[in-house]
Amino acid sequence: MVTRLHHSVALTTLETPDIAHDFGLLSLAPGQIAGLSGLPGSGLTRIGLSLLAPYASRGTLVYLDVRGWASPAAAWELGIEPDQFVVVRSSDVVSWGRIVATLLDGVPSVYAEVPRGMPDRALYKLAAKARAQRTALVLRPITGQLPSGVAHLNLVAREVVWEGTEAGHGSLKHRRTILAVSGRATRGMERTIEIEDNGTNDLRVVSDMGAQTTGEVVG
Amino acid sequence: MWYPTWALRQPGKLWGKLGLDEPTQAVGQDGHVVARNETAARCGVTVGMMRRSAEAVCPTITTIVQDLRVEMARFEPVVQAVESLVPRVEIAEPGTMYIPISGAVAYYGGEEALCERLDKELEPYGGDRRMGLAAGIFASYQAVRQTTTDDPLHIVDNDAEFVRNLDVESLGSADIAATFRWLGITTLGALAELPVSAVVTRFGREGLLAHRQAQGMSRRVDPRSIPEDMTVESQFDPPIEDFEQASFVARNMAQRLIGNLAPHGVAPHRVVITGIAADGSERSRTWRSADPFSDKSLAERVRWQLRAWIEGVTGGIHGGLALLRLEPADLSGAGRQMALADDAKAFEETQRALMEVQAIAGRENVVVAHPQGGRDASERVLWTRWGDKENTAERDLDAPWPGQIPGPSPALVPSTRIPFDITWVDGIPEQVRLRSRWVPVLSWAGPWRRSGRWWDEEGPSDQYQIVTSTGAYLCEVREGRSYLLAVYD
Repeated sequence: MVTRLHHSVALTTLETPDIAHDFGLLSLAPGQIAGLSGLPGSGLTRIGLSLLAPYASRGTLVYLDVRGWASPAAAWELGIEPDQFVVVRSSDVVSWGRIVATLLDGVPSVYAEVPRGMPDRALYKLAAKARAQRTALVLRPITGQLPSGVAHLNLVAREVVWEGTEAGHGSLKHRRTILAVSGRATRGMERTIEIEDNGTNDLRVVSDMGAQTTGEVVG
Repeated sequence: MWYPTWALRQPGKLWGKLGLDEPTQAVGQDGHVVARNETAARCGVTVGMMRRSAEAVCPTITTIVQDLRVEMARFEPVVQAVESLVPRVEIAEPGTMYIPISGAVAYYGGEEALCERLDKELEPYGGDRRMGLAAGIFASYQAVRQTTTDDPLHIVDNDAEFVRNLDVESLGSADIAATFRWLGITTLGALAELPVSAVVTRFGREGLLAHRQAQGMSRRVDPRSIPEDMTVESQFDPPIEDFEQASFVARNMAQRLIGNLAPHGVAPHRVVITGIAADGSERSRTWRSADPFSDKSLAERVRWQLRAWIEGVTGGIHGGLALLRLEPADLSGAGRQMALADDAKAFEETQRALMEVQAIAGRENVVVAHPQGGRDASERVLWTRWGDKENTAERDLDAPWPGQIPGPSPALVPSTRIPFDITWVDGIPEQVRLRSRWVPVLSWAGPWRRSGRWWDEEGPSDQYQIVTSTGAYLCEVREGRSYLLAVYD
């Protein structure tokens, strides 16, 4: 069964706690962890940064860049001030854990790409530290998914639909990403949502496509 | 003591020969003229003018881009020469220093005799040097600014009388000066006649400071004593010989010092930097700032000073730097009030965490970015090492940049072009390879033709936005091969 909502709701600010509470999605309280899985290009970087953007209005947001590809322009478009956005580049698996642990000690919000080969045990320890330090943490594995139980909110990109381009004409304008959402935020049930992104500083959940138990995209 | 053309000094090439024939200007990091010689002045170049404007009025002008660290290294011997006559000299910036002369005046037999002696001592260093003598810091600064090349000495007999005739512009704040003018107050004398309570009510702390200066009173030194533990000290074993390492330590110590003072609501106007070499020799220098030092501005001064000691003409620090001490003085509560939303503790913790991360990942790998102009996504980002002064933008942000790929901006931009497999059918992209599998192209935009930087022997290329069911990518086709430029993630 597919349920469609009749209105669009912006969920990227902490100033809308009632809405965030109603949906329990796309907001990250201090100490909560979100895991993002999907191929590069599915829009997960912007979604991850939008989860942390409210923290950047009061403090520093650190992006731990494993590939060396991070571009801050997308963060600026989400309303994050340039001075509040710090990029740490490190592709070294050995020091990655130390860097994240250090950041969790002093930074209110961290977006960390997870390099290949990171042991599950290290991720569980860092998750516990994030909860203890009340640091909002978004983890984006370069490949695969996070081990179960690490993240409060798991977002898996299923499909992306872009508008604006057609047979050589136009340019990219507007994206809708279909995500499978699971974790404690959805009380253990997998749900499918669709997020609208037009490149401005608000991502919008345009429809909550209902509970799914199979993890398949609702068509 | 003020060297108005200190920034123009270039060892070897122009040292001591400026002002003769070639128009020359020094430009700060913000693109404004900070110094120019007489020839440039005759062409219409003024201090504060934009570099482009200066080059427009004087096309043959030689431009020197200011490097304060290098300037300080060159200024160090001058300071040492002055200190051989009068101790406890305070530096405001390379080219400007405050010399406490109350004791020296008696020793040398008068103000003019002392000035002559100082002038003689500084003769070997050449250059246009000027002196302003007054009882207070503000008056002496204004006095030296009124000197000319032909009349390089200005002695103020009565600070209060002297400052009465100064324009309100001399307060150093364009905003407050404009407001005073609008109220019909054009001189500091007129300001001094206003009741202090009225000025404070209207202008707050800034107004109070302006009123005190207008009355000839220098900034009041905070009477609170400085506790012993406010001095920050670090010992190094093995001693530091590398400037980069010392620079890192400087920032750490500056942050500790300012952080320790912050809970007391004060910041220093004056800091004594003391370095002890491994051979036991000690050197010390005092730095002064009109505004209270922040951690960044203090770290900058400490770095300049360390560079002057380590790499300067004075022969370096023998055996390396074994101890560094920062001693605050002349504390003031000005400028330390944080905004309501600011959390000082959280800010401090963040700074500490990032410094620690710098130690793990390397200084080059902790960066912040600011927007600048450019056509490509990578060009539009100006990276700066975290904690360093923001780099100067290479490209104008407000320029139109025709050919720029329209928004939204890609979230992932590889630092180099990555080969990207695309299959083409009659010039139309059909499939792209993502990791190990081929994915059909659903739609695309382009090609957008780029002529390339022909002066760098770069050929033309075509750019495309390619959309698949898993995402969108910015690609480039160059010389028959396709590359990934950015990912809209």
